[in-house]
Amino acid sequence: MKIPYFPGCSLKTYASSFEKSAIASGAELGIEFVEIPRWNCCGVVSSLTSDDLMHHLAPVRNMIRVLEMQNDKIVDTDNKMLTLCSMCMNTLKRSNLKMQEHADELETINDFMYKEDQKYDGSVQVMHYLEILKEYGFAKIAEKVKVSLKGLKVAPYYGCMLIRPKEVGIDDAEEPTIFEDFLKALGAEPVDWRSKKTCCGSYLTVNKENIVVKLTGKILEDARRNGADLIITSCPLCAFNLDSRQELLQIRNPNFEPIPVLYFSQLLAIALGLDINKFGFENNKVDGMPLLKNKILNK
Amino acid sequence: MYPEYMMESIKKVEATRAKRLAIARKQGKQVFPPMDEQERENILETFHPDYKKDALREMRLGVNKGEMIINEVVDIMESYPRNKASDFDLSKVDYETDVLVIGAGSAGLSAAIEADKKGVKTLLVTKLRLGDSNSMMAQGGIQAADQRDDSPTLHYLDVIGGGHFDNKKELVEALVMDGPKSIKWLEDLGVMFDKDDDGRMTVKPGGGTCRNRMHSTRDYTGAGICRVLRDEVYSNAQNVKYLEYTSATELILDDKGQVAGAILYHIELKEYFIVKAKTVIIATGGFGRLHIRGFETTNHYGATGDGLVLGYRAGANLMFMDSVQYHPTGAVFPEQIVGFLCTEKIRSIGAQPVNEAGELFVYPLEPRDVEASAFIRECEEGRGVTTPSGLKGIWLDSPLIEELSGEGTIETTLPAMLRQYERFDIDIRKYPMLVFPTLHYQNGGLEINKNAETTVPGLYVAGEASGGIHGRNRLMGNSQLDIIVFGRRAGIHAAEKVIAGIELGELSLKHVDDYAKEVEKLGVPKEKISPLILPDYIPDHVKAKQMTEEYLGTLVK
Amino acid sequence: MAVEQKMVTVYIMGEPQLVPEGSTIIMAWEYAGFQLKKGLGCREGFCGACATVYREKGDYKLKGGLACQTVVSEGMSLVQIPYVPAERPRYNLAELKPDINTFKELFPTIFRCVACNTCSKACPQDIKVMDYIQQLKRGDIAAAASTSFDCIRCGLCALRCPADIVQFNAATLAQRLYGKYLAKPSPELADRLQEIADGKYDAEIEELNNMGHDDLVKKYYSREMKIR
Repeated sequence: MKIPYFPGCSLKTYASSFEKSAIASGAELGIEFVEIPRWNCCGVVSSLTSDDLMHHLAPVRNMIRVLEMQNDKIVDTDNKMLTLCSMCMNTLKRSNLKMQEHADELETINDFMYKEDQKYDGSVQVMHYLEILKEYGFAKIAEKVKVSLKGLKVAPYYGCMLIRPKEVGIDDAEEPTIFEDFLKALGAEPVDWRSKKTCCGSYLTVNKENIVVKLTGKILEDARRNGADLIITSCPLCAFNLDSRQELLQIRNPNFEPIPVLYFSQLLAIALGLDINKFGFENNKVDGMPLLKNKILNK
Repeated sequence: MYPEYMMESIKKVEATRAKRLAIARKQGKQVFPPMDEQERENILETFHPDYKKDALREMRLGVNKGEMIINEVVDIMESYPRNKASDFDLSKVDYETDVLVIGAGSAGLSAAIEADKKGVKTLLVTKLRLGDSNSMMAQGGIQAADQRDDSPTLHYLDVIGGGHFDNKKELVEALVMDGPKSIKWLEDLGVMFDKDDDGRMTVKPGGGTCRNRMHSTRDYTGAGICRVLRDEVYSNAQNVKYLEYTSATELILDDKGQVAGAILYHIELKEYFIVKAKTVIIATGGFGRLHIRGFETTNHYGATGDGLVLGYRAGANLMFMDSVQYHPTGAVFPEQIVGFLCTEKIRSIGAQPVNEAGELFVYPLEPRDVEASAFIRECEEGRGVTTPSGLKGIWLDSPLIEELSGEGTIETTLPAMLRQYERFDIDIRKYPMLVFPTLHYQNGGLEINKNAETTVPGLYVAGEASGGIHGRNRLMGNSQLDIIVFGRRAGIHAAEKVIAGIELGELSLKHVDDYAKEVEKLGVPKEKISPLILPDYIPDHVKAKQMTEEYLGTLVK
Repeated sequence: MAVEQKMVTVYIMGEPQLVPEGSTIIMAWEYAGFQLKKGLGCREGFCGACATVYREKGDYKLKGGLACQTVVSEGMSLVQIPYVPAERPRYNLAELKPDINTFKELFPTIFRCVACNTCSKACPQDIKVMDYIQQLKRGDIAAAASTSFDCIRCGLCALRCPADIVQFNAATLAQRLYGKYLAKPSPELADRLQEIADGKYDAEIEELNNMGHDDLVKKYYSREMKIR
């Protein structure tokens, strides 16, 4: 399967471990990520206000690129567009939904698309990698596991963008299970915890660091309290807040015990038997490597 | 697109292409035997515009009095100054500076950057905007002997041979020995030279070079360099103040005869300003807009040779002012781009010049004067193509390039050329370009030594305004090098002279009044004024009604 | 043979003027009697001084182009733009890092891009302006330097941008960062600089300096041509 892949800015910079592990694990499963040529920002930096259509230009333009890839037959998935970052997925999906539901607005956007030969028709289906994996079949993935994650207690962190608002969420907004199902397929033990949907502080990390430290502190303590060895997420911003803010937590509370925060795709790659050294674990502030080696790889 | 009758000739070019391509594949760039000394001399004497009987006339005043000089240069020298000494009170100066740089092409910008580094107060003035210059327009490349099979010595030989062995040797030495250093300096400032994935410079040959020595930044080499230098002045210069739309109209000397500043003129506000400066660097470029012998030019709007006038009136001497460079390949069709430069790089990467019948008639990479003369010969002897407006030209067979180096080569190496012609519906990947020599470069200028200094104390010249480096004919890629080498040298030495200590005497414009008296003695009509500042392209029938004296560049024709 | 020159009417700042058919916008201004001092530079499409906007008869679109490269048409409406207001940050290239943070600090407005592509449409050089802004937004400086390479700093992108980005200045910085930090250094150049510093060529050059005219001519014409 060759699928158009939308990376987004974080995946090319501080979340490169996410991209590398996702692409490698996909390849192992026969899912080839074909990076969208000339992709632009998903559109999140220009907020999705309802009264300004211009903010939908960026997302729609990316979807036009997907149609072009289909026309050029360099992908073979009908209308699908793969995303990794929860935030990109959310932005693209919301914009797509708006285009699908409002033909008049879609027409205006198409009129304004300077220098694009291809019109957008609302036909692209934006999907998160987890959805693709689910479609592939968690049972089938379980069969391909070479290194079982048995004994590893993992706290799945959904954050907000993956499941809310419900129109674009990839799972039930209140009782999501997709991460848990995924973890079970790899042999890991999902931790049931209250904070899995609690806000990480998001953009406040830029100018209100204290609030983020307070929020993430509570989330991390909750994970520990419930016996988790590590946390997984699919959002580079959540990952950044949960991982790098632990430095400050340690300074403020000498008893604070750091906990690794990984992308779900990193666990997938390990379970599929891929070389752990290739997926940028060194990028993490809290090193997950000793734990994984200890509990899984050297067992 | 080309009219039908020109397409007929293009068919002939296409018919011979396969044969010429085979020769190129077999013999590399040597598709035609290069001329020897005697052949070069013969063709120059018969066909080069400089050798025409009425090209030169005797200069009747100033340091070079009695010498044979290009007509149009004598015209601007035998003109009245714009001002008299009594117009100004030189005790009230508007600006005071250590170094005054006149002109902001790559030579002026390099000088300002180096003076700035020495920590001296620098004033950079230009009659248009920073970077508006011939430097910005250069396309093909910059020479520097940095390849393993090359050496500064070979570069020296190419320079001096191309210049007919008349070049000032200390300048040639400075040029070639500073070559690699200049490339490094530019790269450290952020110039993006064309390279392969391992960092090796992509180097091409040029007319008259014996090695591949031409470095480039696509076919925007001048811009690739000049915009970086300009950005360095904008973003990082600490001691440089710059004035735009401000022209220098006269140099000021002091009572000891050393340079002491300049009169500036804001071309829009029409205000004059007095600058007191301990040293002055003239970097005003060339004279293409004088349209020597009525030729179209590749030059910038501002290339009116102002610096020559300023320097000459202040007592600096001219060198090699009997020679003009006609670039072999100026566009002659379509009408809108007549005279525009078609970079020599087109021939460097394999295009061949062919006549109306599709025959190759000259080695494509002769020095420019020789190559241009061969083109003129073809046209004068009836083997050229005539355009609808009556101009003549020969074909530059650009489609050969992609036949030789593969599809896509033109788009990546000649984007400016491709774009230029595409605007007029001509795809140079498929069709040849019609070209004829166009006025390109001022070979001579104000004489300098290796420190870029003139005989007037404190007066420096860098770039096209200077004379001596290239003798009577410059090779491709050596002006881009010269403006960096001597721009920097001028900046460094002017600053060092300031630091060593300069005591200015009383400021004076007496030399200007004296010069005006000389002009008057020659019986020159009063309306003849220089420097021109800008050329004037308003049609005569409109001007007759405008009845204004406000034009810049009003030379009696 | 006197061929009668066909004329067209253009509107220069609203006033009708009769100018020769086939004129560029610059030629039209000059034919009408203007001696331009601003909004005109090299006259050959390299300096960006004459970038302008115009409307053609019967077309609602405001188009951009270089006045020295754009041919007038009957009923065309013209203006020249003397200057493009744009703020330019100060920086010392030697103190910068070739990464996204440099752009966050010096050109924060690029992150306002909504991908409307008006900039690319306005560009007289047909540069994919929006694409290089997007490349900068994700820190791909090498790609942005290459995409923006043919930019002549005319400023039309910045004039038309609804997000008020000054694209061309960001492009300049991307190119300089690439040239200084990201392009691999040339091994030959470094070696040659060392050789020159060591005086390897001094004797040869001195010999040429002292050589008489005839010997020099002989040496020149007998030099080996090794064109690759």
